Amino acid sequence: MTIAPTSLTEVAPAGGPGSVAFHRTRILRLPRSPKVIAGLVIMGLFGVVAVIGRWAAPYSPNATDEKNWVQHVLVAGTGPGTPFPANYYPLPLPPSAAHWLGTTVFAQDALSQVLASTQATLFVGLLAAAIATVLSVLFGVTAGYVGGGTDEGLSLVANVFLAIPGLPLLIVLADYVPSAGSSILLVGAIIAVTTWAYSARTLRAQTLSLRNRDFVEAARVSGEGRLRIIMVEVLPNLVPIVAASFLFTTLAAIGAYVAIAFLGLAGSPTSYPPGLWNWGEMLREGFANNAVRGGWWWWWAPPGIAVALLGTGLALLNFGIDEFINPRLRSAGLSRKAARKAGISASSRLGLTPVARSVWDAPSPASKVAHASAADPVLEIRGLCVDYGVGDDAVHAVMDCDLVLRRGQVLGLAGESGSGKTTLALSAIRLLRPPGVITAGQVLFHSKPISGDGPTGTIDLLAAGQRQLREVRWSEIAVVLQSALDSLNPVITIGAQFDDLLRVHRPHLSHDERWNRAGELLEMVGMNADRLRSYAHELSGGMRQRAMIAMAIALEPQVIILDEPTTALDVVTQREILEELIGLRDRIGFATLFITHDLSLLVELADEIAVMYAGRLMERAPAASLFHAPRLPYTHGLLHCFPPLHGARVAMEGIPGSPPDLRDLPSGCAFHPRCRWAMQRCSEERPQLAQLNGSDREVACWLHAGDAVVPAELAQPDPASRRPERMDAATRVSEL
Amino acid sequence: MNGTAPVESTTHTAAVLEGRELTKSFWVKRGRGPLARKARVHAVESVTVRLDAGKVTALVGESGAGKTTIARMLANIIKPDTGEVLLDGVPAPKGRPKSYAAKVQMVFQDPFASLNPVHRVRHQLVRPLEIHHIADGHVEQAAEELLRRVALEPAAHYLRKFPYELSGGQRQRVSIARALAVRPRVLLADEPVSMLDVSIRLGVLNLLADLRDREHLAILYVTHDIASARYLADTIIVMYAGQLVEAAPSVSLTDHAAHPYTQLLLSAAPDPDRGEAPKLAGRGGPPSLLAPPSGCRFHPRCPYAMDICKRQVPPSFAVSSGHIAACWLHADSAQRGADENGLFRPVADHSAKTQ
Repeated sequence: MTIAPTSLTEVAPAGGPGSVAFHRTRILRLPRSPKVIAGLVIMGLFGVVAVIGRWAAPYSPNATDEKNWVQHVLVAGTGPGTPFPANYYPLPLPPSAAHWLGTTVFAQDALSQVLASTQATLFVGLLAAAIATVLSVLFGVTAGYVGGGTDEGLSLVANVFLAIPGLPLLIVLADYVPSAGSSILLVGAIIAVTTWAYSARTLRAQTLSLRNRDFVEAARVSGEGRLRIIMVEVLPNLVPIVAASFLFTTLAAIGAYVAIAFLGLAGSPTSYPPGLWNWGEMLREGFANNAVRGGWWWWWAPPGIAVALLGTGLALLNFGIDEFINPRLRSAGLSRKAARKAGISASSRLGLTPVARSVWDAPSPASKVAHASAADPVLEIRGLCVDYGVGDDAVHAVMDCDLVLRRGQVLGLAGESGSGKTTLALSAIRLLRPPGVITAGQVLFHSKPISGDGPTGTIDLLAAGQRQLREVRWSEIAVVLQSALDSLNPVITIGAQFDDLLRVHRPHLSHDERWNRAGELLEMVGMNADRLRSYAHELSGGMRQRAMIAMAIALEPQVIILDEPTTALDVVTQREILEELIGLRDRIGFATLFITHDLSLLVELADEIAVMYAGRLMERAPAASLFHAPRLPYTHGLLHCFPPLHGARVAMEGIPGSPPDLRDLPSGCAFHPRCRWAMQRCSEERPQLAQLNGSDREVACWLHAGDAVVPAELAQPDPASRRPERMDAATRVSEL
Repeated sequence: MNGTAPVESTTHTAAVLEGRELTKSFWVKRGRGPLARKARVHAVESVTVRLDAGKVTALVGESGAGKTTIARMLANIIKPDTGEVLLDGVPAPKGRPKSYAAKVQMVFQDPFASLNPVHRVRHQLVRPLEIHHIADGHVEQAAEELLRRVALEPAAHYLRKFPYELSGGQRQRVSIARALAVRPRVLLADEPVSMLDVSIRLGVLNLLADLRDREHLAILYVTHDIASARYLADTIIVMYAGQLVEAAPSVSLTDHAAHPYTQLLLSAAPDPDRGEAPKLAGRGGPPSLLAPPSGCRFHPRCPYAMDICKRQVPPSFAVSSGHIAACWLHADSAQRGADENGLFRPVADHSAKTQ
């Protein structure tokens, strides 16, 4: 799967639905997160209070009852016995049964004021946010979609509003408009004018990226009008962002409203024309009457807490929307609780795929791999199972895979997207990110360092600790991924990256020696040593991948894992890089695990090929045998998916149907719904990977077990058994 | 500039859509801020493409060769700097009128990006029907019929789906169905299978072949995969760095490649039947289009480069019947070809202009 550069399309892990966008099923899923539920509860409470608070309040917020509610304290030096008439100063009452939140110094009920204030505060917040959102959508989407001069003009306006400090402008405006004090509509509008520009910028950027998306282009090609494209094709895709910016603006507007009310610019309920009660006004009165110094917390704390709580609620909701827009936040890691329940090692740190505890307790399945002892294995994968997620929702991405990589060999791992080939390889060296979890198996690395230093002997990578893995990774097992641009550091030069690598692993080298060695390595992959001074973005795709390979061989590893290394490259570049890779293999002697969807490429390149389908290994055979005499119907079909470059043109069929959904695998053999030779048994029982009568190949297919009649297509004579001394693929490619 | 003679189809039908001597360059900013300079990317240089009814024409080349730019010019999404696009012999109208959209439709590379994720399949198919007032009153049935034509059944079931509920192959079929909705005469397919899984690519290619045979569509198949072009197309046009290098009936082109670049492309393509490792003649990458090489843009890599290749853009020479190559190596045989069947149109007056 590819990842589009825009933030709106993120690819869900485990072959989940590709493009995640705004649609009904996901909206229903939204409230599940505890954060969102907490946010909804808080906002719901405020909503109810805003609607009924004024009427539910036990007293009128303006009502004063000095006689009963206020404690009067005699000012010292006045009253009887002094020359001065008695003078009292008022003290507000602390909370009591009659006044749950006590009273103000004016003998008003504080609870009633808080309740009455909620309505105006929330109303102004929502109104300002609504106006600001409409403005930002209008400006942002128009600027983004129309582009050119319109964009520049509108962006300039937005930038001017961004540059003007918001609060001072707000104060000036609120003070300048005389009726602002009495009209909360006007206050809302003034706040909106000062806050819309932030969202407009975000929306413009998103529209710019959407404008160039294929589906917008498709609408244009189909003759759709411009307005309709904006309204029907572009705008719905912006809904999550609009919603997020609406919540953000609400929060900002409430903050602004409270602030100007605190400054006394939003109109006082006691002045004429009277303003409305709001939290800012409550705070203002409190502060003006020494509520803080007097220790009358019941007066100023409730409106302050209300502001903070409302902000928390909005932020929590916003967080939920963020998770919804960017699913990576949602699946960034396994929840610790769920992991513990499933018995997964707690040390699930970055760059270390978690392993289920049951893996270590299980007896070693050593007897399972018979052919491993035959040659000189360097990496042995036994019964590896990998899930995405834990519990009932877990997707089984790799199931019970055995694979042996021999020293100096090129082992091809072929399969379609979602077949688990990358998951298998990355989890073997525990580079798979959570929520990937290894649930069973063993990965044995038989180390015999080429360069002399480094660990020797057999290491179980699944049981190895962080330090042991660090010794092995890169220096003994290197990885080259499809996108070199993502693997190379964009902010330092290629040379600096080599320098870092060599300084850590070859500490005895001096700076000049490291630089020279890096230059040598680049020349080994067909690049000029001058390129050490380049940054990744200055290199072409092929050059980047070459630099990545040079880095992979820098420490003379025993194993290189190549995950679709040339898929993004043009054929000529691909061929050149593969030639260099094979040449290096012959010189250095590393073993290669080559992962690709392109079986036709593997046939030319690999010594041995393993084919994966729906998370399982289905066939493994020497490359020539697999190509000339496939035994598995899926391999046969896959080989007939590549039109030949010569000969007569004949119609080809491919494989009917599409690869299965890992969350809902067919019963029995996962391939049976697409198989033209499927039998009754195939849908009932799952075939095991088994050695094929004495040869060095394995297949998981019922056609080759028991008394089934093998179709002629799957019974071609095996070239390996025909020729006693076959010219195998290894010698063939080494001539490249 | 090199003019290129269109490949004459044997039936001598009029081309449905033709791009004549299309040239397009883009401006990019070099550097940032007030010191930014504008630089010109020579994306396509005088390329002629013709699409016939009931034929698939493949446009083959590496990334940056200008294939997509040509498809977009033919779709009237962008305008050529010079040259013209002719639909049924009439120059394409300005803007993007519906009348043009009704005849020329496009299928995009990435089926994950070309369907709007917020709308159901129904919307994606019904909109073009509504815009062009096709099947007014029974759009639902028409949409189902479209899905049946691309072999998505039961159709009513697929109409209700969101794009994310479909697999890549199914999505690509939906986008082909959408393109077919307006009953176009030309389908421009830009890398329609390169994002799909290997096992379902042939299904989509066969669908295109079927549309060509049954509905007589003129199809442009843009691809980097010369083997699939050979499988599907009647004619293959090979491009390199914005220039046309070779055009011929597909089997003739792949079996008797005349241009050194086509030969390089063929030798680099994966081919399991190959007995021994191929020798690559012409290593390196395509040139920067900001300052393309003079003359033939392939000459810095070409193993047979001659003096003239650096100085003059090669015109298209006829190698054999319907087979042209823009390469000075074929200058002599072209004269012969011209004598025999009159295919060769000299354009020498253009070629002197460069340098």
